Amino acid sequence: MLMPPFTLHNPTTVEEACTLAGALLEKGETFDWVAGGTDLLPNYKWHLNPKPHVISLARIEGVDTLSLHEIGCMARLCDLTVENGIHPLIVEAAGKVASTLIRRNATLGGNLCLDTRCFWYNQGEDWRRSIDWCHKADCGTGADCRVIPNQNTLCVATYQGDIAPTLMVLDAEVHLIGPNGLRVIPLTEFYQLDGMKKNVLEEGEFLLKVTLSKEAAGRSGSYQKLRVRDSWDFPEAGVAASWIPGDVSSLQIATTAVESIPRCHPEEVSAVLGDGWDGMKSVKALAAGVRKSVQPVNNTSLPPRYRKSMVRVLTKRAVEKMID
Amino acid sequence: MSGGYRQQPGGSGPTTRKDGKRVAGKQAFPPPGSGGSKPKMATRDLDFIPESVGGKEPQPAGSHIHDRVRTGTSVGKEMPLVDSNAKVTGQAWYGDDVRLPNEVIGKILRSPHHYARIKSIDTTRVEALPGVLAVATGADSPHRFGVLPVTKDEHAMAVEKVRHVGDLVACVAAIDESTALEALNLFDIEWEILEPVFDPKKGLEDADEPIHWRGKYHLAKTNVQKRVFQEFGDRSLVEKPHAESHGKWKMAGVHHGFTEPHAVVAHWDPNGRLQLYTPQQVPHYTHRALSTVLDVPMHQINVIRTFVGGGFGGKSDPFPHEMCAAILSRKSGRPVRITFDREEVYWINRGRHPSHIEVKMTADEDARISGFDIDALIDGGGFASFGHVTSYYNGVLATAPYELGSFHYTGARVWTNKPASGAMRGHGAVNTRCAVEVGLDEMAETMQVDPIDLRLANLLPPHSRTISGFRITSNGMREALEKVRTGSNWDEKFRKLPLGKGIGIGCGFFISGSGLPIHWDPNRFPHATVHMQVDMDGGVTVHTGAADIGQGSTTAVAQVVSEVLALPIEMIHVRSHESDTSPVDLGSYSSRVTFMNANAAIRAALEIREQLLNAAWEMLGYHPNNLVLNDRRIYYKHDPAVGVSYLKALHKAQEDKGALIASGAYRSPPMGGVHKGAAAGLAPAYSFSAYVAEVDVDVETGIIRCTNVWAAHDCGKALNPLAVKGQIIGSCHMGLGQVLSEQMVYGRTGHLQNANLLDYKIPSVHEMPHVEPIIIESCDPEGPFGAKEAGEGPLLPILPAVVNAV
Repeated sequence: MLMPPFTLHNPTTVEEACTLAGALLEKGETFDWVAGGTDLLPNYKWHLNPKPHVISLARIEGVDTLSLHEIGCMARLCDLTVENGIHPLIVEAAGKVASTLIRRNATLGGNLCLDTRCFWYNQGEDWRRSIDWCHKADCGTGADCRVIPNQNTLCVATYQGDIAPTLMVLDAEVHLIGPNGLRVIPLTEFYQLDGMKKNVLEEGEFLLKVTLSKEAAGRSGSYQKLRVRDSWDFPEAGVAASWIPGDVSSLQIATTAVESIPRCHPEEVSAVLGDGWDGMKSVKALAAGVRKSVQPVNNTSLPPRYRKSMVRVLTKRAVEKMID
Repeated sequence: MSGGYRQQPGGSGPTTRKDGKRVAGKQAFPPPGSGGSKPKMATRDLDFIPESVGGKEPQPAGSHIHDRVRTGTSVGKEMPLVDSNAKVTGQAWYGDDVRLPNEVIGKILRSPHHYARIKSIDTTRVEALPGVLAVATGADSPHRFGVLPVTKDEHAMAVEKVRHVGDLVACVAAIDESTALEALNLFDIEWEILEPVFDPKKGLEDADEPIHWRGKYHLAKTNVQKRVFQEFGDRSLVEKPHAESHGKWKMAGVHHGFTEPHAVVAHWDPNGRLQLYTPQQVPHYTHRALSTVLDVPMHQINVIRTFVGGGFGGKSDPFPHEMCAAILSRKSGRPVRITFDREEVYWINRGRHPSHIEVKMTADEDARISGFDIDALIDGGGFASFGHVTSYYNGVLATAPYELGSFHYTGARVWTNKPASGAMRGHGAVNTRCAVEVGLDEMAETMQVDPIDLRLANLLPPHSRTISGFRITSNGMREALEKVRTGSNWDEKFRKLPLGKGIGIGCGFFISGSGLPIHWDPNRFPHATVHMQVDMDGGVTVHTGAADIGQGSTTAVAQVVSEVLALPIEMIHVRSHESDTSPVDLGSYSSRVTFMNANAAIRAALEIREQLLNAAWEMLGYHPNNLVLNDRRIYYKHDPAVGVSYLKALHKAQEDKGALIASGAYRSPPMGGVHKGAAAGLAPAYSFSAYVAEVDVDVETGIIRCTNVWAAHDCGKALNPLAVKGQIIGSCHMGLGQVLSEQMVYGRTGHLQNANLLDYKIPSVHEMPHVEPIIIESCDPEGPFGAKEAGEGPLLPILPAVVNAV
């Protein structure tokens, strides 16, 4: 497994990184950002859309901050798994990501910007040649999507990050920076329903940090993950729930790994709350509602029907555990 | 408990035919244990525990022939494997660790099509690329090879057709990997796409273009590679069953998942001899195949087995990439190294066959099993590999450990356009074993008896014969079942656990060395040969061709030699890497190495021992019958003070001839019937095992977690209990993978969807249950110090135990 050659850039400040990105864009060059590399480098080894330039964030100082209200993009996931001032819900989710070894390298920024996955896409070059490529990595052939044929407008690869849904139910905001300056948006608006575009990051922009409001500290919740093995595996479905203890109206639910984006489910929550909260009965109704709203496709290890019905179980368990 | 379907020799009529061959089932037996003239199985005391497992009673088979050379030096002691230091310090050299001066990199062009005819290959552009040193295609390798002489259907590279995605088309050698990869894109190939077959059931039907063509022996125009039909016993017994079960199974293919991907280095030395470095379980077959493919006599080839980073059956075929490396090296004049990516490992496959298995079984009023009716349709993929044997094993290895009234087996192996299936730990026996054991539990359920009681009532006794004619010698099945029953507290738990928890039983039966050496007549040549040499320093060098693939065969050989000669294990040096220096050995498959090689090693060591005792006789004046060899001394039996040191006796023995040399061989006794396929599944001894598994099932998600396993395995005699326990625990891990999470997923387009270790779900340490290994020692009369296999058999019972628990 040989990676295609690329030029590695190592800026030491955020400004330098932005200037570098701007300069490359002006020259018409394409590039990728790399943080921990646990997602990007395996993809490069498989020759999945490699770029001629890679800008590393590893040498930039001050982007690995860790506190209750602010987590930098270079914060390592292993540091998020211990409760030194981090929100317990994030600790719970971070502890379920991949394996101990991977968490030592992987970063929060990388996890949030995780490439979407699909078993027609995450394969070696020879393998993908044998299926005549796919829409996401078409190698210039304009190939069709292999999951849902006869549509090559939308990539349906699945977002399989663990931490995004927990940050969503904690109302996190993301700070994006690039040659055109800084902007701050809620995480719920960060993702974009297309497995190729993935999120709203513009060319040259990267995710600088995540901030949590003061109100988030008062929230408690739970994250439930479905996977075959308790190590390594990406979630086959994941549900995060949080609330301000005692206040049902503050309930938030987010799902991951069932669609191209992780997302919150405010409609389903308000539909149940609208009927008045009735303990377990409402929890079940909520779980059924969330299950109905997700549309997994057949591109991960477990079959989509199973994953969809497990969303109901996971939602129920997340809410139950949260209320406990 | 009375009655049973006695499978014993005897009855009237001659035992030999006119042509001198034995009549099926009429065979000479070693000292009889039970049965014989009695038509029914004798009632056995369930509390019987032999000496070897801590009881007071002597072994039913009596003392062991090797007992008189026991010195208490190393057999039966827990010791780390002799090569463990090299491995834990990272100094073991695996396939890809070999670095030769001037070496170049070989890469293989693989088929992007499931099934296609190659109309033309143009290599002009490849050859023109700077840095490319050699290019080879199917035209360079017209000779066919295969692991079994009866089914040679592979080429180094596709000659006419490619048979699965990932099949080898051509290869290049270049100065570095990136040049080689670039070169792969420059082949100009014209394809004619053919209609592929993926479903083995479709393989039974006529096709326009069968995947292989075997001339007049081909079955119509189907893709059937092998059909097996066997029937034994009285089929009328199954007509009015008291209880019956009928199971239909669809088993996915699984892969060995060894750590080390295939890697090979080929080098034609200045004398024109081929030196091939490869992590092989069976270097001898590669040796033979290389000779055929390259058209070079075997003595001009030296196969060097590197350390093997796990094999489990997946490195026992001669592989096309080994031929490619040799061809490229011959063309380029430089050493060529080919290392596989994980994806390529899955494409060469040789894992367990995806199978459709149907098992019907019946029992009579006394809860005796009156019949097994097994049908197995196995998906062989693109090539034959070991499939000929697998087709038999799927049936015949289900004939024990139970006494059956009748047995009926139909099996077929078909070619499909997928990577070839082959041999994997528990070869051929695993899937049917699971189906059979689960069927037994179903019958127990309908008859309302305890499944362990049902099994106990139907066990074959030691020194008996299976319905298909396998000679059973030692048999620790009863002890194994009793031990797991008490160990797991079965009677307190079975059917008494709350919802979501369960406990289940499974038994296993496996060969301890295949009775038929594939390439020669066992009556003419031995199965295994070991050479031994003792020089002046007193160290013993043992030459064996046995391939240590991590299972500890080198240690086992060293241990038995150390035991016989009473030398510390550090003084025994086992050399087993090169075909130039080691005697021909069939390699590590069918769990034969400990049984056969250790037996051969004991014979060689006995010869050395005799020479030493004779020398001491001259020095001390006492006949060897009165001398004892122990503790690096040879002394008078009745007065240990009278004696000479080992070194002195050695030097005396060496006076006239220099180093002491000995050679030992093992050959199996004549066994088995004469019916078609009688040799499949024959072994000089069989291992038995019984596991109890406890599981937790999440009733909402259906996720199964195995929490506890009590694993009793009859390995005859544990030469190294540490290694046996390791094998048992490792087998549990592998079997749990198959039953809970591992499968090779073929998508709707016929592509293998999970050719990587992230999506091919081998259980992690979190999924491992607590395994309590229980070693049963039934002391096999023919095994080395009584030992039998412990490498593959322990895998079988974990699958049905978990399924039954669920």
